[in-house]
Amino acid sequence: MPNDAPPPIHSTKDALDALAGILGGALPGSIAAADDPAAALLSDPDVASAVSGRLRGSGSGAGNDSLCRWLYDAFRSNVPELQLAVLRFVPTLAGVYLCRAVSRKPLAGFEAVFLVLYAHAAAQRGAGEAETVSLPNLANPSPYHDAKVPPKAKPAELDVAVLSPPLEPHGTVRATRRARIVGAVLQLYHGKLAHMPLSSKMDFCEFCVAWAGTHSKLDGADKQRLPPARDAAGGGAEKWRRVPLPWELFQPVLQIVAHCLLGPTGSDELKAQAARAAECLYWRATETVDARAVLATRSLVRLSQMVEEPIPEPSFSGAIENMAELEAMRANILNSKN
Amino acid sequence: MASDPDDGGEMPPAEATSPAEAVSDPSAEAEAEVTAPEDEPVKASGGSVVPAAGAESSHPEGLSLNYEEARALLGRLEFQKGNVEVALRVFDGIDLQAAIQQFQPSLSDKTPSKKGRTKSELPSSVSQNNPASLVLEAIYLKSLSLQKLGKSTEAANQCKSVLDSVESIFQNGTPDIEQKLQETVNKSVELLPEAWKHAGSYQEALASYRRALLSPWNLDDECRTRIQKRYASFLLYSNIDWSPPSMAQQVEGCFVPKNNVEEALLLLMIVLRNWYQGKTHWDPSVMEHLTYALSLCGEPLVLAKQLEEVLPGIYPRTERWATLALCYYVAGQKDIALNFLRKSLNKLENPNDILALLLAAKICSKDHHISSEGVEYARRVIALAESSDSHLKSVGLHFLGTCLGNKSKVVSSDYQRSLLQTETLKSLTESISLNRYNADLIFDMGVEYAEQRNMNAALRCAKEFIEATGGSVSKGWRLLALVLSAQQRFLEAEVATDAALDETAKLDQGSLLRVKAKLKVAQSSPMEAVEAYRALLALVQAQKNSSASCKNAIEKAKALKSYSAATLHAEGYMHQARDQTKDALAAYVNAFSTELEHVPSKVAIGAMLSKQGPRFLPAARCFLSDALRVEPTNRMAWLYLGKVHRSDGRISDAADCFQAAVMLEESDPVESFSSLS
Repeated sequence: MPNDAPPPIHSTKDALDALAGILGGALPGSIAAADDPAAALLSDPDVASAVSGRLRGSGSGAGNDSLCRWLYDAFRSNVPELQLAVLRFVPTLAGVYLCRAVSRKPLAGFEAVFLVLYAHAAAQRGAGEAETVSLPNLANPSPYHDAKVPPKAKPAELDVAVLSPPLEPHGTVRATRRARIVGAVLQLYHGKLAHMPLSSKMDFCEFCVAWAGTHSKLDGADKQRLPPARDAAGGGAEKWRRVPLPWELFQPVLQIVAHCLLGPTGSDELKAQAARAAECLYWRATETVDARAVLATRSLVRLSQMVEEPIPEPSFSGAIENMAELEAMRANILNSKN
Repeated sequence: MASDPDDGGEMPPAEATSPAEAVSDPSAEAEAEVTAPEDEPVKASGGSVVPAAGAESSHPEGLSLNYEEARALLGRLEFQKGNVEVALRVFDGIDLQAAIQQFQPSLSDKTPSKKGRTKSELPSSVSQNNPASLVLEAIYLKSLSLQKLGKSTEAANQCKSVLDSVESIFQNGTPDIEQKLQETVNKSVELLPEAWKHAGSYQEALASYRRALLSPWNLDDECRTRIQKRYASFLLYSNIDWSPPSMAQQVEGCFVPKNNVEEALLLLMIVLRNWYQGKTHWDPSVMEHLTYALSLCGEPLVLAKQLEEVLPGIYPRTERWATLALCYYVAGQKDIALNFLRKSLNKLENPNDILALLLAAKICSKDHHISSEGVEYARRVIALAESSDSHLKSVGLHFLGTCLGNKSKVVSSDYQRSLLQTETLKSLTESISLNRYNADLIFDMGVEYAEQRNMNAALRCAKEFIEATGGSVSKGWRLLALVLSAQQRFLEAEVATDAALDETAKLDQGSLLRVKAKLKVAQSSPMEAVEAYRALLALVQAQKNSSASCKNAIEKAKALKSYSAATLHAEGYMHQARDQTKDALAAYVNAFSTELEHVPSKVAIGAMLSKQGPRFLPAARCFLSDALRVEPTNRMAWLYLGKVHRSDGRISDAADCFQAAVMLEESDPVESFSSLS
């Protein structure tokens, strides 16, 4: 089986069948029966933990890893929901890959998946152009405010900031460009965060803490403590070690942590994990006093401790006349069926 | 006018009482406008008349409330007491649509006609218990109750109905409506997006935020600011599928945001401006959001400008200076940053700010001339972090080591130099013992060992660095190759360089190719060296071509800068080979004007001058000594200096110099270690 090329994936059904074959068992019935099987696949916790467990296991990511092959094919099928299901595993992929890549093990399987995701990210930007942001200038009016524009004056020139530099095409992953490639993939993941299930984001925060390699003061524990692997199935969980974090990697990581921390995720557990991750990243930034990283992470840590201003409660002023009337009517209203 | 007919028969049978209508006050004109004339259809819930002026004081005896009002008031009472569920049950019976229908004619009559009169009459003629506002308030409270019970989608729908109703009633925008109704509108506008957010309908939330801010609701400043802040935060952190706001009319020169970050930045800046203008209170989170967003975009100067504009008294000034220093440092303006830090770290201000001290030490560590200052800052960090924080202490020791190392290069006395070198190694070693994993630290140690000619230790550090970074940082490979070459292990150095080239992307290979070429030269394989140089030239050419299409001119300049002193030096070398002495001299002078400490050009000038004749010997000696001050291990400089001494007749000095040159030849790398930093 490993020597035959697996059949290409063209539809969700193909993907599900192939995955069942790889995981060695039928997928939960709820997925096939659902209206949108790919969406069900995205959020199913059992499949997710099975796949994650495989990815985290030793020996994964090699050139002949069938699960990596599946991820690769599924993404290239161009079915958007399937692509989301693949993206869901980006945190685990990135986590395992970066930690192992530092030890320079052969990881062709992972690299292939990353390259296809990278190519997609570059294509999405229209041939890999830089992502830019024009900085607003309040001298120009906008939908949200008025500004006095003198007649016949040209609008004030806008500075353009580069949010993410251009992406050149890459056929292989060279060590010096690894951070760039993984960073671009993380940005792709960041773009789809609204669709990602909670467990995916929790995985990400967990890996962040490992990548930073520093300890959070919130823990109060010793430096060497690493978070236990999610599925400590195959005993002796691998220690996820710190990785080099140049800005091209640090920036998307920070964006994702910011979403987990301050976005409308609705999960306190995620917020707590993200707060830990942000703090670890802050200490990592101070290790080399990387000013840009220090500014951004410090703000995030401060924001995590600030409480948002609530909507003021309604005020009730003035006495109500006709109290007697109301009391009389009250019983009737409350007892009546509407 | 008499009150309207009793609606008893039209009420649901369960109702025991049949509320009559409120009797309008004898204010004939108001009534004429206000009262629904008899021929207008009267709805089932009672054609209640908007009470005219002074209704409170002129209530007749008997029941004056209709069904809707009663429910509204009761519900409000329950809500006030905190019985949210009971309140909900009460509110559930209110039929908003019906209520709106009947209010519509009466209220919308007012707005177009008789403006002057109507406006002045409005506040007094529409009292607090105006049924329209009561019902709307009731629906708002219903939605708030649902929200409190966690039923966000229903809450959102109810809230939306309030706003839709108001919009349909007041089609030309809300004029000076009475205070209670305005308050309800404000609160509904604020609640709706939050309800959608909690319900997970982010597209609806986006639309409702925009509706809140772009439609003319006549919100008060504080309310609007709160909405703007929440919206900015939503835009920055939610990663929704963004779409641009639709513009009713395109104003010339209007800034329409093209992505979520732009919209968020715009809103945050507007909030800040409102604060300057005194329209709202200070909220530190706004500046933090801005800091985050602008740091991510790499626009520290814009951030610095915003920080500088914050009025005094908000931040302690040392905190402001320290943050500004960070911004200016990111922007590359190290001198300005250092000045801010000096002010802030003055013993009268805030001398114990560890982060500021570390940044100051870092800035000083990059420049040999201020290394003593850096030493002092680093020592202060170490003293402060002594007991509490080994992480920060390690960082302090790292910078201390670097500054001491730099200092050792500029002192004139040998004794001082060796003392400083020992200190440097001591600091760096202690730093590593506190934090084994800091890759930059390992690298700096390696370079220091190499410069002090402790090659074995340097080799160990180089290997450890490559392991820690997974071979992804090319300077680690270069250090390894250079150390091996200094140990005369050229073949191994070549193997290392080839391994590095495999791991490096094309555009980053320049410096490695240079090292490879020099290795080939050292092994006396000139043809292969030529190959390597050719590859390097092709790369430089490719980089020049790609940077021609690069939009950012600064990037282009930076890409070329690293080659300029070297290329000028090469140019000079070419001229020298052709015996064009003047041109050669000119090129060399240009080279070291580009880069003040460019040792090879100084050595070359010294060498050339030494051949020009006895008049030029002092000048030659000056250049060569200068070169040796920066790089005492440059054997060519020693060689030429020896020759100068010999020509001048100082034989013993010459002998010393030649001996130094010979000793250095045995442990010379193909490229100086200072090229690594």
